[in-house]
Amino acid sequence: MSEEHFVIIGNGPAANEAALTLRERDSKARITIVGQELKGQYKPHLLPDFIAGAIEEDDLYLTGPAFFKERNIKLRLGQKVVGADFRGGWIILEHKEIIPFSGLIIATGARPRIPETVQIFEDLMLTLKTPADAKVWIDRLSEVDSVVLVGGDLVSLSVTDALVSLGKRVNFVIDEESFWPVPFSYEIREQVARRLVARGVRVLSGCRLMRVRRLSATSLEVVTDCETLHAGILGAFFGLIPNVKFLSRTGLDIERGILVDEHLKTRFDHVYAAGDCAQVYHPAIRNYWVSIGYENARLLGRIAALNLLGGKFTVEVARESIFRMDSIRVNTSWWMEL
Amino acid sequence: MPKVDVTVEVCGMAGDGTIAAGGLINEAMASGGFSVLGFDSYPAEIRGFGRCVARSRIGSEPILALGDQTHVLISLNDEQSGVRVPFLAYNALVFFDSNPPVYLNEKQSVAAAVEPGMTLIGIPFSDLATSASGSARGRNLTALGGFAAVCGAAPELFRNMITKKFKAKGEKVLESNLKSFDAGYYYALSNLSDRMRPLFALPEQSDVAGRLIMSGNEAIGKAALDAGVLLYFGYPITPATPIMEYLAKHLPTRGGAVIQMEDEISSIGAVLGSFYAGTRAMTATSGPGFALMTELITHGVMAEIPAVILNAQRGGPSTGLPTKTEQSDLHAAVFGGPGDSARIVIAPTNVEECYYYTVMGFQLAERYQTPVIVLTDFYLDNRVEDLPVPEASEWEKADGNLYPAADSKGTYKRYAVNESGISPRAIPGAEGFAYTATGLEHTERGTPDYSPENHMLMTEKRYRKIWGALADLPAPVEFSARGSMDLGVIGWGSTFGAILEAVDTARSLGYRVGALKITSIYPYHVQEIKDFMSRCHQVLVPELNYSGQLANVIGHLCGKELIRLNQVTGVPFSPSAILARIERILKAGAL
Repeated sequence: MSEEHFVIIGNGPAANEAALTLRERDSKARITIVGQELKGQYKPHLLPDFIAGAIEEDDLYLTGPAFFKERNIKLRLGQKVVGADFRGGWIILEHKEIIPFSGLIIATGARPRIPETVQIFEDLMLTLKTPADAKVWIDRLSEVDSVVLVGGDLVSLSVTDALVSLGKRVNFVIDEESFWPVPFSYEIREQVARRLVARGVRVLSGCRLMRVRRLSATSLEVVTDCETLHAGILGAFFGLIPNVKFLSRTGLDIERGILVDEHLKTRFDHVYAAGDCAQVYHPAIRNYWVSIGYENARLLGRIAALNLLGGKFTVEVARESIFRMDSIRVNTSWWMEL
Repeated sequence: MPKVDVTVEVCGMAGDGTIAAGGLINEAMASGGFSVLGFDSYPAEIRGFGRCVARSRIGSEPILALGDQTHVLISLNDEQSGVRVPFLAYNALVFFDSNPPVYLNEKQSVAAAVEPGMTLIGIPFSDLATSASGSARGRNLTALGGFAAVCGAAPELFRNMITKKFKAKGEKVLESNLKSFDAGYYYALSNLSDRMRPLFALPEQSDVAGRLIMSGNEAIGKAALDAGVLLYFGYPITPATPIMEYLAKHLPTRGGAVIQMEDEISSIGAVLGSFYAGTRAMTATSGPGFALMTELITHGVMAEIPAVILNAQRGGPSTGLPTKTEQSDLHAAVFGGPGDSARIVIAPTNVEECYYYTVMGFQLAERYQTPVIVLTDFYLDNRVEDLPVPEASEWEKADGNLYPAADSKGTYKRYAVNESGISPRAIPGAEGFAYTATGLEHTERGTPDYSPENHMLMTEKRYRKIWGALADLPAPVEFSARGSMDLGVIGWGSTFGAILEAVDTARSLGYRVGALKITSIYPYHVQEIKDFMSRCHQVLVPELNYSGQLANVIGHLCGKELIRLNQVTGVPFSPSAILARIERILKAGAL
């Protein structure tokens, strides 16, 4: 029996694709996925639909509990990795369990970004990344009739649609960091603003969030440099940043994400990173890039798995539609750190 | 109110407070009006190593047996709990210590064993208990606090039971235990809002007055007290020892005594001596001890001296499986010993019956002047159930002895042959009523006589007496729609609860099945059993023994071959195992 034990940290598209690729190429190896979410892989783009009540919670999930078991892949959910020794070949979980590995793929994805200037108000903001976040939105929306959205990344536009469909009053504060990390032009930003207005959304374009104050359980005061707003919920949509903080003292090279070469390998043998958590070296531009999008993540997960098994594949990211609103459409596959 | 049917399991190493935690769950939930059936399994060895598991099935309707799957696992020791994961429901909750004192490898971590669909609930049991009370000893209560918060079990129920349990140990001990519980409760409320699963909506009309929760062994002990027992003679043995402990606590307060004998032979000898002298006494043992008693039990048969012997069966033969359950002493109880030594054997099927059948045992022993064997087993002795406070009637507790008429003084024949086979029994020392109590075959006056005619006469007398006891023995109880059935399931002892649940389920699925509960093992109600069998196209007898011991005893009453379902795994039948067999039989019959 094979002594190999491949461990994958994360349970998103990159992680799942990596696990399936490993199993496809090695029928005997032990494969373990460690994910922090309580349930299996979900479809993040459906979260706004879930908030709008257009779909049920079960519709969010891609696979049932038996999917990985049938493929002899151990899926460990609701479990958090807090440390690692990459030379020693083990990771450690929050509950003090040590898991040895012969190969590791880190695919922890990304988490909502809150700009440093407004981090002190983080507890008063709602973000949207997971089904659990969506449930908080649903719970809070049942008590309020108005929402302020700030930032304005790609997810926020779908959320706006959901809120409008629920009959909520929406104020949208778009500042220069909107659509981060995609450097959109002023023209596109204004075009998006006009479309939002056409849907009944009040847009404060070019305004900056200054401070937030809770007035009551269902009321917030949101102060911008343009005007002061009152709403039941403040939604923060400033994009995503790689979810790698827990690896900060493990010896990995980390900037915004985990730095990997064009084969997705980290500085440690048998340790790879894939998906939103990775910053991939591009030999042509001699710099690192990050990607977003479901298909990109899957592709990176597959390449990481193939290379872990001895391959030498390099990443060639397909162009992917990441943003669409009426006739405004932006295609991108990767970009440099801003 | 939605129907509640939840199985909770606490698992840990011996010494972790596993059984204590399980006991508190049982008592707390029963005090909330739920029906509870709890059962503990633990290693044969003394404290310090080995897996302990306390299982509780909690329902809003009467619970008849342990459930098939566990819905909530509370791990007090991850390495031990990991092996329990295959027995969990697909969406089970698993509570575990999220900050154990040492690092674990995968094999030692319950988190490594859980499957997707199950929800891990990490609570730093040890840390919280230490912070709250200064010691990690209360971590089992911290775990219960977390369980109560996440599962929506009213915390006051637990606090009341903790108070009841620790009050006698002083204010400091009580306070530290309550703090340990609250630490887990409030931690879960504050930190685990995403994992809440309210499973225990309290029954709307929870009438708990007049109900209590007790184990089979406690019920037997209480029954002995209520029946007026003054002397208990015994030698400790699992799973009967708790009866001795219970009586050791209570008998001295009423002028009685528990005397630990040098072995089981002397124990039964002392019980026979006590009854001979007119004082109710009992002994309790298990298979190996019962084997030692058999010669003197037959002495009681021959000399027609009452005795009550409780045989708490465990896995055998020989020392066997001391802490596992089995129903394999039926042959020994009914037939064990030299000669044709008919005696009464009765077998309760639940905790409430443990009480009433034990009280009945004393009445029957005196009335029929014979050893009466009450046959229980590990699963029945150690499980707890909620039940109405048992209280035997005056009639049930009454002196069952048939004393000689005063005018027979001087002409008294201790073993007078008559129609009933019951001869008046004088208490030794009564002037003019002297007799010889002997294990030798004897005449009506008790003098030895080995003649063919006398041995025939006396053997017939003794059998006539025992079979005459059927008039006082509980008849089989049928659970069916009457009429003819495709399958009848006959059961006895602790197994019957699982049988009844399986049969109830099968009937709800449209199968024409019924169940028959037999508690009078010997003598048995021939006509009633025959009547049931005759209305069943097929008859199934599930038993926790390999040889089908009840089926062997009653099989001749059935005109067809009995179908046997025998299990010797050391664990009780699950209702689903019996249901599966029922369905297989009926589907095969339908082909």
